[in-house]
Amino acid sequence: MNSTVDSNNLREEVRAWLTQNVPQDWRQAMTGTDQDAFVKAQRDWFNKLVAAGYATPHWPEGWPGGGRSLADQKIIYEETARADAPRLILFFVALYHSACTLMEWGTQEQKEKYLPGILKGEIWCQGFSEPNAGSDLASVKTRAELKGDRYVINGQKTWSTMAQYADKCLLLTRTGKSEPPQGGLTYLLLDMKAKGVSVRPISQITGDDEFAEIFFDDVEVLVEDRVGKDGEGWAVAQSTLSSERGLTLVELTQRMRYSLAKVAEVMRERGRASDPAIRKELGALIAKVNASCALADQYLLKRISGTEAAGDASIVKLNYARTLREFTKLGMSISGLQGQYFEDFTRGGSQETGNWTVDFMNSYNWSIAGGSDEIQRNIIAERMLLMPREPKNWQLS
Amino acid sequence: MSASNTYQRSDAESQLIELRDSARQVLSGLGLAVNEEKVWPIVTDLGWLLVGVPETLGGLEQGVTGSCAFHAELGRSLAAAPYAAATIAIDAICHSTLANQQSLIERFATGEIVTASLAESAVAIASNKVTGTMTAVPSADKASHVLVCVENSELVALLSLNQPGVEITARQTWDTTRRLFDVRFADVALDETLTLASGADAKTLSSRISTLRDFALAADAVGGAEALLEMTVEYLKTRKQFGRPLALFQALKHRCADLKMLISSAEALLNDSLSRVGNQLDGAQAVAMGKAAKYLACSVYARVAEESLQLHGGIGMTSEYPCHLYLKRALLNEHLGSGNYELDIADHFLS
Repeated sequence: MNSTVDSNNLREEVRAWLTQNVPQDWRQAMTGTDQDAFVKAQRDWFNKLVAAGYATPHWPEGWPGGGRSLADQKIIYEETARADAPRLILFFVALYHSACTLMEWGTQEQKEKYLPGILKGEIWCQGFSEPNAGSDLASVKTRAELKGDRYVINGQKTWSTMAQYADKCLLLTRTGKSEPPQGGLTYLLLDMKAKGVSVRPISQITGDDEFAEIFFDDVEVLVEDRVGKDGEGWAVAQSTLSSERGLTLVELTQRMRYSLAKVAEVMRERGRASDPAIRKELGALIAKVNASCALADQYLLKRISGTEAAGDASIVKLNYARTLREFTKLGMSISGLQGQYFEDFTRGGSQETGNWTVDFMNSYNWSIAGGSDEIQRNIIAERMLLMPREPKNWQLS
Repeated sequence: MSASNTYQRSDAESQLIELRDSARQVLSGLGLAVNEEKVWPIVTDLGWLLVGVPETLGGLEQGVTGSCAFHAELGRSLAAAPYAAATIAIDAICHSTLANQQSLIERFATGEIVTASLAESAVAIASNKVTGTMTAVPSADKASHVLVCVENSELVALLSLNQPGVEITARQTWDTTRRLFDVRFADVALDETLTLASGADAKTLSSRISTLRDFALAADAVGGAEALLEMTVEYLKTRKQFGRPLALFQALKHRCADLKMLISSAEALLNDSLSRVGNQLDGAQAVAMGKAAKYLACSVYARVAEESLQLHGGIGMTSEYPCHLYLKRALLNEHLGSGNYELDIADHFLS
């Protein structure tokens, strides 16, 4: 079997399918639209991808669309970026976080109960962060008390993307007090329609409300919906967080690369196309964006070859966050005063919508969410450069 | 969760890793900033100049990726060898139509030095005589020949440095790990037997030469930056103030982490570009890739060097400590090569 021929075939097949199926003018349709229209468009796009088998290439063999190698998954992501297809933001947690966690930790019953629902379009959200457990995720306080065959949950989660539309939730709770704090955590699957769950969308700096707070007031979850053992939640959560294995960053860096054309566009629009100062900044940015693509690519290669080292993922993420900031900032700066006038934004893109001020604001998603830049720097310093960890016993003097 | 992923390292890759490891071992045995008298015989004895040369010409067939691995190792150790210039000239010979290719390569790979400019040159030709100035030519005092790209890419040739009309002037640089010279030609006659390319071929070869130079400088920068960051982190782990190692302070750890990320990005871009261009180093695409790799790696190196000096504190300001050697090599690297890198990259993209 010739793998180069096979991957060329797959690339052509995916490319042809995307040409046929990416919704025409979706960016225009998703600009200034309300969130319900966005949710509907996401569902339509999701259903198309599921039917074609391109939504679940990372699922194991035997599942629809599943059983593809990482190299093949990479091709699908690259082509998706190339075709400027909408991102499946609404289904990301379901397809990656939930599915991968279940595949790795779930019982047969749990897989059968939840995975088909994901393919039918059930929306999942992540209930990890809390007002007092952000970077320090192990300090979650949402309490799950075991009473007979069920846990009773009280507490609050926050920064949960699209929780207001979610059917299910991946919930990290505290069941014990053991030391270290990672020890007393338990991982549950929660029905968002259950009694005692309330969701409050959070209004963001862009005016959007993409994420929400979730409150739990004596919410019951059956023991059979626990993933892993009681007290094993931290390890399960680590699988959840590493589930997309660098593929997202391959897609996002490629999108950023294709979107360099948008910088050229705004240069022309603002009459700065021949401004040497701006051209110089663009030249530097091009090198950095290409480097971000190369880093993401090589990271995935390391995963494929099993040579990933501690900290590699942090390097890729920290680098993307920084390059994305510079990219959006350059576009915003070229836009000048014009960029400071409010303009409706586009839903479903990443941070390359060409609405530079919104893109710039959204670029903070990448330096804060999923382990902030500061956490990534700690990981790089401590696990790659082997610099010592902070002393534990801090006292207020 | 994916289907079986297999990855097998190719023989060529394994061979290169072995070569690179042994180079690192040899160079670390020599110590930092080893001078030319000591390192050059080793470079030639161990056949390092043949790494990128095709097998048909007696080389190791490791291509540009191969020679870049050695540029990086020499950059790490701040070695004073005119290795980059010599590999560029030898590569040009390999890609010429000279009849005596093989014997020239043998001569230049075994001790006789051939050099080339690491920066801009302004050399013109009129009735087969060469006039003009080349800058940043390493070890020109010891070299027998220099690679010359004539303006407007009309001609690429080797010129003997031991002939009337050639004036060689040492230029003292802050970077003491390289010895650079200006070479002036006043009506120096061309030796037809050393003409590597003319006309359209010369244009192609010139473009290859400048890309190769950019990759060489990028690799030198990546190697140097890596070694310097390792040294800096080691120092921070050892040096104690306020009763604790400096490496414990998050403010310093985060700076080191940023530098590590920057070096990784420069290295990734270099490796990615090398694998994309393969042996096709001429043409607008390859030129732009070389420029991006050089720009990023050299600016990252300079940044790492600036930060490292600060992170070392007072000791970094002393001449006995090697911090300043890296800084000076990094600063020089940023200004070697030709053209305005950022503008050239943007021009290529916008065209």
